[in-house]
Amino acid sequence: MRRCFLLTAILLLAMLAGGCGGSSSSSSNGVVNITVWHGYEDVEGKAIKAAANRFNQTHPNIHVTTQNYGNADYALQKVLTAIRAGSYPDIAYLYGSWAANIARSPTTVDLSDRIKDPSVDWNDFWPAERQAVQVGDKVIGMPALVDNLALVYNKKLFDQAGIPYPTADWTWDDFRAAARQLTDPGAKQFGWAYVADGSEDTVWRFDALLWQAGGDILNSDNSEAEFNSPAGVKAATLLQQMATVDHSVYLDNGNGNYANLFNSGKIGMLFTGPWDLSGFPDVDYGVQVLPGDQNHQTISGPDQWVLFNNGDQRTEAAWTFLKWFTSAQQSLQWSLDTGDLPIRASVTELPQYQQYVKRFPGVGTFVANEANALKARPVIPTYNEVSQAMGQAIQAVLLGKAQPQQALDDAAQQVDDTLASGQ
Amino acid sequence: MIARAARSEHVSGWLFVLPAAVLITVFGIIPIFWALLLSFQQNDLLTAPTWVGTENYRTLYHDPVFRDSVRRTLVYTILFVPISVGGALAIALLLDARVRLSWFYRTAVFVPVATSTVATGIIFNLLLEPTYGIANYLLGEVGLGPYGFFQDPDQALYSVVAMTVWGWLGFDVIIYMAALQGVPQDLLEAARLDGAGRWATFRHVVWPLLGPATLFLIVWSTINALQVFDEIYVTTRGGPLHATTVLVYYMFNQAFELFHAGYAAAAAYVLFVITLAFSLLQLWLGNRRVHYTS
Repeated sequence: MRRCFLLTAILLLAMLAGGCGGSSSSSSNGVVNITVWHGYEDVEGKAIKAAANRFNQTHPNIHVTTQNYGNADYALQKVLTAIRAGSYPDIAYLYGSWAANIARSPTTVDLSDRIKDPSVDWNDFWPAERQAVQVGDKVIGMPALVDNLALVYNKKLFDQAGIPYPTADWTWDDFRAAARQLTDPGAKQFGWAYVADGSEDTVWRFDALLWQAGGDILNSDNSEAEFNSPAGVKAATLLQQMATVDHSVYLDNGNGNYANLFNSGKIGMLFTGPWDLSGFPDVDYGVQVLPGDQNHQTISGPDQWVLFNNGDQRTEAAWTFLKWFTSAQQSLQWSLDTGDLPIRASVTELPQYQQYVKRFPGVGTFVANEANALKARPVIPTYNEVSQAMGQAIQAVLLGKAQPQQALDDAAQQVDDTLASGQ
Repeated sequence: MIARAARSEHVSGWLFVLPAAVLITVFGIIPIFWALLLSFQQNDLLTAPTWVGTENYRTLYHDPVFRDSVRRTLVYTILFVPISVGGALAIALLLDARVRLSWFYRTAVFVPVATSTVATGIIFNLLLEPTYGIANYLLGEVGLGPYGFFQDPDQALYSVVAMTVWGWLGFDVIIYMAALQGVPQDLLEAARLDGAGRWATFRHVVWPLLGPATLFLIVWSTINALQVFDEIYVTTRGGPLHATTVLVYYMFNQAFELFHAGYAAAAAYVLFVITLAFSLLQLWLGNRRVHYTS
């Protein structure tokens, strides 16, 4: 009897201890401990550890611990759960598309006053990055990553088909014709690939086309959909013609097969970003700005480091780390380590920048292409609904299940309803 | 003295169940009530919730995507349960007969159950890839296809049924094989002496004795099928064009991608009612038709 009581008590204690663990980082002997959550693996995983070490060595009063939260795609759910549970990191890497959602959490630190500090040199960050963290009058994070879409092509396939390489003033027609010529159904070879799972991956590539045709996603005060304009229909029609008439597009179901297929020489051209380049060791590829219609705009996908309030002392320490980590010198170091684009324009003027461009072939075009990233996706809490409606419409068009005008009109109606109800 | 002993037994009994009871309360019962509360709120899990009464339920009723997801869940269940349970019975009967290498077949049938859903999903994604996948290649060799499988809105749900049947069949087979072992030899012998053929023996002796196992498998598979999620999450993610958006996937999308936690909780309660209705119906039918031997 006594023994079993003891056993039960131990079990209960073990459970309680298990439930309470995890929130141990606070100050001890004058050192402030802060935690950074990220989803970096491999090369980038090593780079972030190295960065934290460099910081810890030069800042004896702060100790930064980095923790991998797994796939960044699901980071928002994890961070939200952690906030609910009351035990959350000081800094977390979060996608740009979540900015408006995360801004609504009272634990998110508003940086709008801190970035006015001249030593931050806020305007040195690319415009797309600054737009992405601006939610109303709040600034909800510091730029973590910037990239954009450019045209990556397989030189060998172009040579074989006897067509000249893409140029900076390629039109949609040039692009479509080349994709058709690069397609060979017998060899299961496609001119282009498009991620057709209806997710944001589907949508943002469309956004670039929409902007090139002179359209926009929503109207200027974000109260109504505008993507069903003639420009939107023109962009969707291009996708429809290539996918269902020319059959020159490999439709990826969201598992990222397109990258492997490009590396195997099965796909001639991609709209993709610098993160994919390291996956193409077997292909002699070239990088060019996107083909254009009225212009050659691209879309930039900035992600950010979001700071969460764990008390003044830790917030101050976390800010010190972020300011250091996003400085030009550290940004260049990060780019050299990982191949990611520099998050500040001034990095291109540092002497070591040339080393970076040499080390990562094609990346210079992406850096220059950042100047073509003029517009940003709307930063509103209901953006995911907008994205989902557009994604379904574009997917329907690509699969030949709907006509461009009708599909976009239906999606626009849904978006208008959502925006009107505000939820 | 007697009263004291009984009381101490009482206390120790409660202490024994306490750990399980605490876990079930914390992770089972409290969330059930919390979800009920949530279903009457507009709640984005970030900011303070607002009370909206039954509005979530009314919106659900008029939401075409939700209604379609209910329909799809039912279609999936109606396909999955008979195919997996019936298929398992056939395989169990085959394996129960003494075949050479039966240990190998038993292992082969059970391996998919032990394989993680994520691994299964990745493998099926590769097998069923429309352009380069091996499934279309083999079907092409015999003059069929090519099929879109997961990428064709008209085929995706059926592809998921095929994949999940493959994944869960082994479990049902094991249950049926255990039940077949429990069929008394003297009954089979008696049937044979009475001149019953193979079919008559199965129909009138074996099948009635498998009743409890069949009832269990049908109830269990139905609950599982109504709550299918993992397999869809790792393959089609509800697409293409919502073709595989079943109820739980719809809830996931609403709660964790669109942040309508209250609305998703209301959908969860609809699922709860459907599951309860199915289970009660099955148990009621079962009580009337299933014979338990002592």
